[in-house]
Amino acid sequence: MTSTLKGITLKGSAELVAEFFSFGINSILYQRGIYPPETFTRVTQYDMSLQLTTDVKLKNYLTNVVSQLKEWLFECTVQKLVLVITCLETNEVLERWQFDIECDKSAKESSAPREKSIKTIQDEIRSVIRQITATVTFLPLLESACSFDLLVYTDKDLVVPDRWEESGPQIISQSEEVRLRSFTTSIHKVNSMVAYKKTDSV
Amino acid sequence: MAEGGDADWELSKENIQPLRRGRAISALNQALSQQQDGPSSAINQQKQSFESELRIYEGDDPLDVWDRYIKWTEQTFPQGGKESNLAMLLERAVTRFTEEQKYHNDPRYVDLWIKFAENCPEPLDTYRYMQAKAIGVTQTSFYIAWSEEYEKQGNFRQADMIYQEGLKNCAEPQDKLLHFHKALQARVSRQVMTSMVMDDSDDEAKHAERVSLADLKHRGKKKAIAPVNRVGAAVKSNSQGLQSQGALASNNAANSRFVVFDENKIHSDEPAEPKVESWMAPPPARAKENEQKPEKWCDVKMPQRSRFGHTLTSLPPSKPTFQPFVEESDQPPTMTPCKINPAVNTVLSARKPCKEETPLKRLQEHHQQAEAGKVQEQSMYCKELLLSGATEFCFEELRAERYRQKIAQDSGTRGQMDQASAGTAN
Repeated sequence: MTSTLKGITLKGSAELVAEFFSFGINSILYQRGIYPPETFTRVTQYDMSLQLTTDVKLKNYLTNVVSQLKEWLFECTVQKLVLVITCLETNEVLERWQFDIECDKSAKESSAPREKSIKTIQDEIRSVIRQITATVTFLPLLESACSFDLLVYTDKDLVVPDRWEESGPQIISQSEEVRLRSFTTSIHKVNSMVAYKKTDSV
Repeated sequence: MAEGGDADWELSKENIQPLRRGRAISALNQALSQQQDGPSSAINQQKQSFESELRIYEGDDPLDVWDRYIKWTEQTFPQGGKESNLAMLLERAVTRFTEEQKYHNDPRYVDLWIKFAENCPEPLDTYRYMQAKAIGVTQTSFYIAWSEEYEKQGNFRQADMIYQEGLKNCAEPQDKLLHFHKALQARVSRQVMTSMVMDDSDDEAKHAERVSLADLKHRGKKKAIAPVNRVGAAVKSNSQGLQSQGALASNNAANSRFVVFDENKIHSDEPAEPKVESWMAPPPARAKENEQKPEKWCDVKMPQRSRFGHTLTSLPPSKPTFQPFVEESDQPPTMTPCKINPAVNTVLSARKPCKEETPLKRLQEHHQQAEAGKVQEQSMYCKELLLSGATEFCFEELRAERYRQKIAQDSGTRGQMDQASAGTAN
């Protein structure tokens, strides 16, 4: 991706957003300790250092999801991506990271690039990831071993690919929700939000 | 807040203490916004109502008020600090119920103790004290907190032992205890594995490791010059230098003059059972004899013995050998105007460190006094009520509180009577 390019096309936008999800999911998994920190390696992206997993299985899984997601982003058929953290033992949903994706479908017809520099977009993405990192200030400690799952909400008429299956929404009952920052490539807009189990006090 | 953009919590994330159970975001945002305007009356009002509730509560579960009060404090003062009074509240709360057997294994009470211990300088002492007093001995959370403290200090053996102790005492919920125990074992074994792998990988490097205090072969014929490269061949073979880590372990007995104390070996000889000391006599909070104040190290001179035998204690500070550059336009600093008459010597000075007193020690003293039953003072007023909370109350406040309660009760009963009469009229 050349940063000298001034405009942004649908394809570029899909790629940028998919890249954001790849880094975003990795940092959530690292921050929340879903995988041991030793299995992560540090890379520099968006002018800050981020953690990427080195676990082969997880890597494959994520590349799989992200490449599928890129396709859907390109077709503008995806509505939401949700990362659900569940307790391994009780199967209770503890945290739910939700990314709402708004697609500007008119971009599919006209292939003219939009005016927004990659640098501005990356700045916005950076502040979203920063905020994800900062959420440790109020999120409860995950005391037990947890697993995670990715849910993607798409348009109804989409054919489910082989590797995907339909799933329930996995909502947390009695949750506290915090809206995080959003960013837009002017074609795709991503709103982020985290929901977690309400504290039993107060 | 609508966009979630520049939320308060992100701007002051460094000043928010993370809580184990997380924070309610609404309370957090409220607390942070109020913090900018200074302490608000709403917070003070709520605090006051908790305080008075502590005093006039007459139900059979006084711990509940304390529990709610402390949780509220945690959420309302995200940065902790002195004005939150949290440390004092915790101390008062745990002290208040040490004699109440019914609370000893109440999860709320045990939680308070754990929070109290985490505020103490020596949490382990507090946990031992709890064990001796049989507080929380059937609660899993107690063993988890205790073991985690040991683990934090790197004592995995003890950490493991604590879990076994918990299992022996049938702490509830048991599956949680087992689960945490397993997680600890997994962590320890993984650490051992990785350290073994590391050892294997730097086997090569170990040979070339620098040896300190070793004799070096010199080079040069006229002048002996110590070699720049101080490893390998440069070291005389019969050296008795200090080698670090792994190399030492293999040949320490034969080669070294020092007997190295190995903590782990000693431990394995000891009986596995942790000793339970009796806490009848409170142990000194710290070993006071060996205390040394932290001080500046950079300009301190070792007292040196001069040629004449007496010690030179302090050398005068040497003047710098260079002339500091002063800009021509620079004015000599004007004296800050001093309002205080220089003749008067009542200037503020740093408070002398007072007698060291840890919360745990205070607690033990309190307990001892109560046990001995010889409270020397007898107050002829309800001192307990005035001082029982985090802040002090005065008589009038108490009286007003009672009055309000009575009024509320009266109006309540009157209302009921009204209803009753209305009922009969129908």
